[in-house]
Amino acid sequence: MKRAVVAIGAFVLCTSMTAAMPAPAGAENPVIIAVVNDQSKVYADLSGQGTVAAVHMAVEDYGGAVLGRSIKVLSVDHQNDPALGANKAHELYEQDHVDAIFDVPTSSVALAVAGVAGADHKILFVTTGGTDALNMGQCNKYTFHYGYDTYALAQNTGKLITEQGGKRWYMITANYAFGQSMLANFSNAVKSAGGEVIHNDMVPFPNTDFSSYLINAQAMNPQVIGLMNAGDDTVNAMKQINEFGIKKRMEVGIGLLFESDIAALGPDYWSGSTITVGSYWNLDDKTRAWAARYKKRTGKMPTWVMMGNYSAVTQYLDAVARAKTDDADAVVKQLEGYKFEDVFARHAYIRAQDHLLIHDMYVAKIKPASQVKEPYDFLQIVKTVPGEDSYRPLSAVTCHL
Amino acid sequence: MIARAAALDRRIALALALGALALGLLLPHVLYVGLATDIVIWALFAAAFDLLLGYTGLLSFGHAMFFGGASYVAGLLILRAHWSFFPAVAAAVLAATAIAALVGAIAIRRQGIYFAMITLAFGQMLYFLANQFGDWTGGQDGLQNVQRPTLIAGIRLDNDTLLYYIALAAAVLGVASVLRVVNSPFGRVLSAIRENEPRATSLGYRTSAYKLVAFVLSGALAGLAGALFVIAHRFTSLDTLDWHTSGEVVIMTVLGGIGTVFGPLFGAPFYLIINDRLSTLTTSPGLVLGIIFIIVVSVFRRGMIGELVYALRRRRHVEHVAPGA
Repeated sequence: MKRAVVAIGAFVLCTSMTAAMPAPAGAENPVIIAVVNDQSKVYADLSGQGTVAAVHMAVEDYGGAVLGRSIKVLSVDHQNDPALGANKAHELYEQDHVDAIFDVPTSSVALAVAGVAGADHKILFVTTGGTDALNMGQCNKYTFHYGYDTYALAQNTGKLITEQGGKRWYMITANYAFGQSMLANFSNAVKSAGGEVIHNDMVPFPNTDFSSYLINAQAMNPQVIGLMNAGDDTVNAMKQINEFGIKKRMEVGIGLLFESDIAALGPDYWSGSTITVGSYWNLDDKTRAWAARYKKRTGKMPTWVMMGNYSAVTQYLDAVARAKTDDADAVVKQLEGYKFEDVFARHAYIRAQDHLLIHDMYVAKIKPASQVKEPYDFLQIVKTVPGEDSYRPLSAVTCHL
Repeated sequence: MIARAAALDRRIALALALGALALGLLLPHVLYVGLATDIVIWALFAAAFDLLLGYTGLLSFGHAMFFGGASYVAGLLILRAHWSFFPAVAAAVLAATAIAALVGAIAIRRQGIYFAMITLAFGQMLYFLANQFGDWTGGQDGLQNVQRPTLIAGIRLDNDTLLYYIALAAAVLGVASVLRVVNSPFGRVLSAIRENEPRATSLGYRTSAYKLVAFVLSGALAGLAGALFVIAHRFTSLDTLDWHTSGEVVIMTVLGGIGTVFGPLFGAPFYLIINDRLSTLTTSPGLVLGIIFIIVVSVFRRGMIGELVYALRRRRHVEHVAPGA
């Protein structure tokens, strides 16, 4: 009997304790924003707690208050689980009176949370989630896609490499929605720049052994190997590209890569390959000053999506101030078509038709370790591409808000 | 003595049933309703799983295929063909039944770890099939924007609280049918198979047929839970088909108590509430849940409800036997 009492007691205690934990909003009626992202799994380094710190920084830089009300920041770990992410988002909007949610990596979770934002009529900024479905087929009035999308990555990386002489592409594609969408976008970009895709391998996702594809690629002698994958798949493929000594003979175009991935393997593994980023801490004095402040605060260097979240929160608070209310419809009106410049977004505006942030994108080559002069100084920006040329042209937008 | 034990068991079962029902009616008032709905759905899923693990002794590691498979079937029917609630749920349950019959016919030929591996393999196969046919399933992005179906003509299930009570009703029906099965002569045979399969065979039972029926019933009820999942969340994704989902249902069942039917009804809320709260409080919910799981497995091996039932039975046994002994 005693064991049973202890067991049940422990159950009740655990449940009630955790259930009672989050304190309800006080009487002061603050403006509440929330970060929903992966804080414990594969994307934790890329965004995670680093983004939470950047968001706190944005709030403090804004003065900690808007419309005379204090600003409160909540954060939730969605564990890359769409059901948990959507549940939490709904709970944040409805129960915790959160005005806006930020970040949301992982396409499936981002789309699920966007569905909740649309249904609950509350604002969402997706920064780290990259699928262009967010601003195409599954866009909605309350969701803003802020930072980059798969179209922009392809448009910039694919086009630049092809224009510089990398005409013959051999694609290695992760066989799931993200990889397929990257492949389609890259193929279009390569073709429009006068190149061709000589072969494509559809690789099961996730995958650790790329050797058979790489042997085949060597036999076909392309000028560029295009990695249409992300995360661990890209890391694994790149390791083997190094082991095969392919990097000396061919260029590598990488669909999606973040500073955290480069740091994980070390820059020498990646050196010479081309990627596209939405910003970079070592871009100019403004970004360097921001990164220095960020580093002082957290002891770490920021990835560019953390900077993106800082910018998204700042622009959101500014829109609340302009609207003189935190009512979602009024804030959406303020955001649509708004032109601005900040540390992250340059020559930027939020396109009213699809709620996509149009801003300058940067094509970069990864430096070898010998040229890395300070920690995290991985990228050599080779081209700044205006937003209009980076993102899907207005004529091709299919979103109906 | 046996009659008394049976009467006691009935009383315990009644108390647990009332407790579970009270919890079900109370939940949406103390918890956010979306989480409450999830709890009811997972409790049904775990109870269905317990029918197989607890009463037949078969550890399936592929139950996500019924849960997730049904969620995709219901989701596609609602999304593309605008089916209403009952037909969509019925079709999804039928689909799960069909998958279970097919997989079960192959898997029940093996026992123990081999059975678990075969079910795991089929589960993963369905996962990759769903990933492969991205045009239909949305691939990694999942099936998004599934509007809530109409319940009956004119009434859409847009109200979350209404949906909760419908899910609760479905779960009560599902759990009641599990109870009916385990307390039937058929259920006795299942228990006999669990305890000693060769002996059950020697008594003249075709054990493989019994095991298959249990597998299919469990799969069908897991499918019911999956259909409710997609309707409640307005989306489904590959995660519902992933082996993690199969693992989660094992954990909920073990936490609550294997072979109790009611255990999973308490194991599911325990797991989900803790997971939900931890995602706001810490950055390592897996670590905390893992530690809790280890403690339960090593100290309360019968699970929460399992320990309670065991203690009640033993106390009664001592009271009746001790004076005379």
